[in-house]
Amino acid sequence: MSDPLLAVSDLHAEVEGFEVTHGVDLEVRGGEAVALVGRNGAGKTSTFRSIMGLTPVTSGSIRFNGEELLDLRPEVIPRRGIGYQPENRDLFTGMTVEENFRLPIWTSGESRGIEDEDAVVEDIFELFGELDHRRDAEVQNLSGGQGKMTAIGRALALEPDLLILDEPLEGLAPVVVENLKSYIREIIDRDISVLIAESNASHVPEIVDRMYVIERGEIVDSGDPEVLAEDEQIQLLMQGGGE
Amino acid sequence: MYPVIDSFAVHTLNGLWYGFILFMIASGLTIIFGVLGILNLAHGELYALGAFVVFSVVGYATGFVASPDDPVSAVIFGVVVLIAALVAAAILLPVGAFIEAVFVRPIYERDEVYQLLLTYALLLIFIDVMKFGWGTSPLDAGTYGGLNQIPTTEVVGVSYPSYNIIAMIVGVAVFAWLVWFFDQSKTGRIIRATAINRDMATAIGVSTDRTFTLVFAMGAFFAGFGGAMVSIGPQTAFLEMGLDPLVLSFVVIVVGGLGSLKGAFVGALLVGVISRWAIWLYPAVELAAPFAVMLLILLVKPEGLFGTWGEIE
Repeated sequence: MSDPLLAVSDLHAEVEGFEVTHGVDLEVRGGEAVALVGRNGAGKTSTFRSIMGLTPVTSGSIRFNGEELLDLRPEVIPRRGIGYQPENRDLFTGMTVEENFRLPIWTSGESRGIEDEDAVVEDIFELFGELDHRRDAEVQNLSGGQGKMTAIGRALALEPDLLILDEPLEGLAPVVVENLKSYIREIIDRDISVLIAESNASHVPEIVDRMYVIERGEIVDSGDPEVLAEDEQIQLLMQGGGE
Repeated sequence: MYPVIDSFAVHTLNGLWYGFILFMIASGLTIIFGVLGILNLAHGELYALGAFVVFSVVGYATGFVASPDDPVSAVIFGVVVLIAALVAAAILLPVGAFIEAVFVRPIYERDEVYQLLLTYALLLIFIDVMKFGWGTSPLDAGTYGGLNQIPTTEVVGVSYPSYNIIAMIVGVAVFAWLVWFFDQSKTGRIIRATAINRDMATAIGVSTDRTFTLVFAMGAFFAGFGGAMVSIGPQTAFLEMGLDPLVLSFVVIVVGGLGSLKGAFVGALLVGVISRWAIWLYPAVELAAPFAVMLLILLVKPEGLFGTWGEIE
């Protein structure tokens, strides 16, 4: 079997002096879509932020394409090919949708070998067709779904090998959730690996190949998403009960 | 024209001139606060340093050109003086970069009290550095012959120093450039993105260290440029000159709205004119009058005239 694209091993991260992950292990292989499922506060966001270098790691290893990310400065990590959509979208307010797409290219496009900025931006608008007529809208005026799409589009702007999506479906109307799922599947079809956090296990089987379950900062189960999503123990865990 | 109207016109023009100088100082202060979250008490000393440095630079530069006794030589002289002011401000660029990288960077994550203590210490250090470099006596770049021979210009019926008019035009140009820079240039928009969300800016590849250094250096540049424009013109460079403009710059950025360039521009002109009207009508309230206006504005608009709460706009 080939080496994993992303390999997180025995990850211990801390926030404001408190350890929030206690030895997380997970892998994402090239072209694979993987979910990290857990209830709020289980450690999904901390794991993702650690991968991006935004949350301090006290011990463990995060290897991407064989390179240890913990040795790199945080701003170098996106240039290695990881796109990140944070849980709260964190769009750059006061700027337009198009500016949010262009900013990553201005900062790191050269490192990623992007020569045609316009082509990349138009490609993102082509993917998220319904954003096209909102390209000049300031991002604070977008709907919830459009905001999520913009955050994902921005994460795609550096043509990443791995796309990390933190709760992209959370807080959206059911019809928008279905819409966004189809966009994420389209991204996966473009041979981009995806690591997606979800607090609703029922969303993930139709998107991902594999699933990890995280609870209190530890991976407690992993495997086939269709099997795990139906597991009563996992369902109980997601509701705050279980072991 | 009636003397009262003459006085009103002159003091209003003086206020506008001072407002433009205040804007150069306050713009740096508000950019540094908006992006770095640092309230830089040493900012007034960067302004003072610009005034001292330009004394040396102008003395050197004007030695190469003739005094402005006809239109052509006046233009050449003016350009040389303006370039000298830019050179003086440019010397502040590495000074600002050094201060940010060495002193300010280690305390970003610390309590605001550390920031105030550190920047106050820098203020005192700068005063000693200037004392060491230029002595304790006030210096007047105007002593370099030609500067005193720049003619006056007729404005709204009064004869007004041409140099002050040029300083106002330069102030408008600085404002226009800053608005363009933050609205249109790639670097400016990257800085705004960093001000809005440091973590997310990092996650798209922005080096926040470099961005912060650039912003602090820019702030130092504009403060130094303001000091240079004042020192070349009607005032002298003296050790305590940074204090009043610093205090008034705080009023400017609070009146205009923290982080707002447009607010700093409008606030600076407002504060400049009010302080000069106060000097004309009742000098004792020169500093108090702008504060009174600030209080009134904050009662009506607590976020300031163009408040963005820390985002550069």
